[in-house]
Amino acid sequence: MSHEEDRETVRRVLAGDDSAFGGIVARWQGPLVSLAYRFTRDPGRAEDLAQEAFLRVYRTLGRWREDSAFSTWLFAVAMNLFRSELRRIPPRTVSIEDVGELRDGRSGIPEVDPADRDRAVRTAVYSLPAKYREALIVFYFHRADVAVTAKTLGIPEGTVKARLHRGRELLRRKLAP
Amino acid sequence: MRDEELDRILGGEEEILPSSGFHASVMEAVHREATAPPPIPFPWKRAWPAFAATALLLVGSPALLVTAGAAGPSVFHELIPAATSVGGPWIALAAAATAGSLLLSRRLADERY
Repeated sequence: MSHEEDRETVRRVLAGDDSAFGGIVARWQGPLVSLAYRFTRDPGRAEDLAQEAFLRVYRTLGRWREDSAFSTWLFAVAMNLFRSELRRIPPRTVSIEDVGELRDGRSGIPEVDPADRDRAVRTAVYSLPAKYREALIVFYFHRADVAVTAKTLGIPEGTVKARLHRGRELLRRKLAP
Repeated sequence: MRDEELDRILGGEEEILPSSGFHASVMEAVHREATAPPPIPFPWKRAWPAFAATALLLVGSPALLVTAGAAGPSVFHELIPAATSVGGPWIALAAAATAGSLLLSRRLADERY
């Protein structure tokens, strides 16, 4: 999707054409719901969070300075909302022991069914401390783009890299046979 | 587990699609938002004199006290009962509470929006 198209749509909304906001929703609803889902693992709550994020974007549309891609700003606004909402009502998280049970019951990750192994790895992400969990989720959501991840999380790129490194290290430790 | 393997697993998560009514639901909320009456603006015109008076009080009081102290302890001792008799401490407390609640509400509003 072209940045110019987003810019034009935003200008129309700011000029008073509220229905033009439908274009933004149509363009970004999939990614925004998917991002929320990665944090909540609950489709209903993911949609609630995404809807609230769109409303926040609508209210603060005039604050987008056009110096970065609209999507970068949109994800940063959404991420701020997700953070505060997930702090208020945390998603169902798993303990390290839950991951351990799956691992030990199958005699170690390398020998289990690939689908189970993948599930165990993804589950283990939810047992990480929030800052590492956020970094890993957003990084892979943005297809391993550190710069965009940094902008979405509102932290420097170096911090993203450090959190990814530490997050992976913790994951490996949790999943080690 | 190697980084490449983690990358493959975590990068290969499937995307979920919003439900069919999601777009309409968002636009309905946006429409409600657009047609809602605007929030009552803060009455800056009326508040400015009060802010100016408070600022003057905050800046002027220490200067007055220093001047009073320099003039002699008797003037200083006369000022405090005089200020107390007209409810000075209560006025100062009310001004501080007002300023505090104003700052807090602005901070909360900024956090939300």
